[in-house]
Amino acid sequence: MSPFFRKRTKSEQPKQTIPKSEIMIENEDKRISSNLKSNIEYFYKIFKNDMDFLLREFNVGGKSAALLCLASLVEREEVERDIIQPLQNSNIGLTNADLIPAILEKEIIYHADVEKETNVSTLIQSITIGKVIVLIEGVEQAILFDAIKQEKRAIDQPETERVVRGPKDGFIEQISTNVALLRYRLPVPEFRIEETEVGARTRTKVAVCYLEDIANEKLIEEIKKRIDAIQIDGVLDAGYIEQFVQDNPWSPFPQILNTERPDKVVGNLLEGRVAILVEGSPFALIAPATFNQFYQTSEDYYDRWLITSAIRAIRILALFFSLTFSSFYVTVLSFHPELIPSGFVVAASSGRHGVPFPVFVEVLLMEIAMEILREATIRMPQQVGGALSIVGVLVVGQAAVQAGFVSPITVVIIALSTIGSFATPSYNVATAFRMLRFPLIILAGTFGLLGLAVGIILILNHMISLRSLGVPYMIPFSPGNLSTAKDSIVRAPLNWLKERPKEINPKIKNELEDE
Amino acid sequence: MKHSDSITSVQFAIIIAGTILGVSMLALPRFVVEKAGNAAPLASLVGILITLIGLIGLLYLGRRFPNHTFVGYSKVLIGKVFGTFIMVVFLIAALILIGLETRQFAEVLVGGLLPDTPIHFSIFAMLFLCAIINFGNVSSFAYIHLFYFPMIVSPLLSVLLPSFKDIEYYHLLPITGNEVTLSQFMSGAVVIMAAVSNYYILSMVIPYLKNPKKCVSAGIWGFLLSIFFVLLLVIVSLGIFGEIKIQEMLWSTLILARMVEVPGEILARIDAIFIISWIFAVFTTLLSYYFIVVRGVAEILNTTKYRFISFVTLMISFFIALFPKDIYDVYTFLSYFWTGSVMFYFVYVFFLLAIAKFRRMKGSI
Repeated sequence: MSPFFRKRTKSEQPKQTIPKSEIMIENEDKRISSNLKSNIEYFYKIFKNDMDFLLREFNVGGKSAALLCLASLVEREEVERDIIQPLQNSNIGLTNADLIPAILEKEIIYHADVEKETNVSTLIQSITIGKVIVLIEGVEQAILFDAIKQEKRAIDQPETERVVRGPKDGFIEQISTNVALLRYRLPVPEFRIEETEVGARTRTKVAVCYLEDIANEKLIEEIKKRIDAIQIDGVLDAGYIEQFVQDNPWSPFPQILNTERPDKVVGNLLEGRVAILVEGSPFALIAPATFNQFYQTSEDYYDRWLITSAIRAIRILALFFSLTFSSFYVTVLSFHPELIPSGFVVAASSGRHGVPFPVFVEVLLMEIAMEILREATIRMPQQVGGALSIVGVLVVGQAAVQAGFVSPITVVIIALSTIGSFATPSYNVATAFRMLRFPLIILAGTFGLLGLAVGIILILNHMISLRSLGVPYMIPFSPGNLSTAKDSIVRAPLNWLKERPKEINPKIKNELEDE
Repeated sequence: MKHSDSITSVQFAIIIAGTILGVSMLALPRFVVEKAGNAAPLASLVGILITLIGLIGLLYLGRRFPNHTFVGYSKVLIGKVFGTFIMVVFLIAALILIGLETRQFAEVLVGGLLPDTPIHFSIFAMLFLCAIINFGNVSSFAYIHLFYFPMIVSPLLSVLLPSFKDIEYYHLLPITGNEVTLSQFMSGAVVIMAAVSNYYILSMVIPYLKNPKKCVSAGIWGFLLSIFFVLLLVIVSLGIFGEIKIQEMLWSTLILARMVEVPGEILARIDAIFIISWIFAVFTTLLSYYFIVVRGVAEILNTTKYRFISFVTLMISFFIALFPKDIYDVYTFLSYFWTGSVMFYFVYVFFLLAIAKFRRMKGSI
């Protein structure tokens, strides 16, 4: 069989590893010596003249000592008050070198988080993540203090997921704060937060969160396995992890949900899903995620169910509009005008009088212009945003129509399909649908209604075949599932939603145990 | 062997129903009336009852060998060489059916919707849709059937339900037909038997059922679900158009669709919309044939290279679809084919069942 159709087997795939840091390899087995001077020189050799490298020498009980740290990462006040001050003030006679660290820890130092370490490579690593080390003349051990200070912004309302009703706090970049936001909402002993490090150089903390008694072990294991298999230099956002954990990297559709809202994460944890937090990213990842979740917002559960269900139906309609409306317009006007009432055909074609392009080109150009406008609005500084909207509305909309460049009906159709995509709560699904409408327009413009139907079937087939960590993407539409269907287009009253979604195999099936 | 991906009984029933409702529904009422005249509904009923016997036979075979597909137990029952030979014939027949059904629908599209589009594109597009499905995963196949089933039923219902008011009851009488001979009556029944004989897909998916022992009732339900629509279609078409008028129509169901009026005048031509929504029905039927061919070939050759097989199938069936000169040619081919395949299916299944009983062979769980 030709190699074109053959899949590469596991053993044939090239194995890649990221080279380790040379400094770390050099000092793998090296230990602290008893000579203070040589120790200090050693650290100087590594950190050289770094602006924030701090060395403070002082005396402890008649012995010279030194404190080393990266000043930018530590809480200076804490270091002065809890470490340097008690050490300098102490006047205990220190004679036995081996006992010094223990005596200091037990009697003198106030600081809460103290460790002892001899390995040089570990010490170097500790300094880079913001720990303080104290070296003492004649002692073959270093004392490590955790005095990390993090620069962080205040907890704010999430930019991407605004709600009218519901909690207004959102995740920030620091994982410790994010964990605190979750713990605050889930004060139960079953809530597990397991930490690993990903990224050979950034050593980013990645936390896998789940409820021990609800989430399925196989799911947790699979996610941990996929995270452990990641081989990469740096992780700068949760998006990196998402792309490594997802099932199908070729799909345009996101298979893992991301959110900035702690309440949404807790809701999903309670259903038996697993959340992944990443240091440095205000987005939590939720897996497995199905298409059903991408048009839901957390607000849906805070308001009345009838209203919410109606709003969800509108969202689905908007999503469908954003995908097919412009291509349907193209195919009807250029191939099948008999499909729509004659009155509409007359209105549409009289508006097109003098337009130099065929409908297909006209719509394609307008859609591209719309995408450029959208992209420009996101990237540009906020101060000039007002100018952009004037340019967009006046030039692209009104002036183009008045100049006879596009027909007014086309502008209406494009506007509808664009606004439709903005009504979707999840930005990445909306973008996927918006981008997919370009191939649909091309298919509709060349092969008419058949091309459009074929395009839609291709997209649907792909979505139906897709899996997110083994869960069918289109559940509850196919395969059908009654318990999940209660929370799909219709959001049933809360007391009907006591059953956890079956597809993720939660260990406890219902919120209430049957008696 | 235990399969990791499995399908439920409901999905199994829907696969059968979705496969039966296909392109043949567009012209089926005319075919039956052509042969059996006013006795068409009765002939359909007889044809369906006979098919039901064949279906139950096949289901019992599947229950007896819950780990084997049609290809598998053919080999077990009548020997490796002979079983493989018959299966090759069976798969070639399915391959030809893919081509002919695709051509039939492409002709519908050209006639009713896209007079200027080359027929090659329509044929290629339909086949391409099937060819890129991942046949390695049986549950995905079931999900696709399940997802599209409402989209097949709803256009049918939206055509059939508003038509009730136009039924003239004297068109349906006498039920036994106007001087219909037995052979005419039976050939009408054979047309129906052929049109619904693609329930054969079930023999390829029984091993993937969560509980293969339950296949009999699920299979019968799926069959009855689709048969309900087939019978309704024949009765409504005959009741509206009458024996003489219906024979002048090529695709009587499309004419039926043309008679539907939508309030508010949002859409002008319902039959065009009906053709487009019928793409789903044709797609699921073709997908089932495709599934039989791809999985069957893979099982005979003992490989899992589904992608390659489906690519080759695409090539071959594309040329088969282009082979007939026009739509009348297609129907001539199909009518030979139908009679032959109905005989084959029926005789072969009961032959296998008899051997299994006689040799007391059973597939273990």
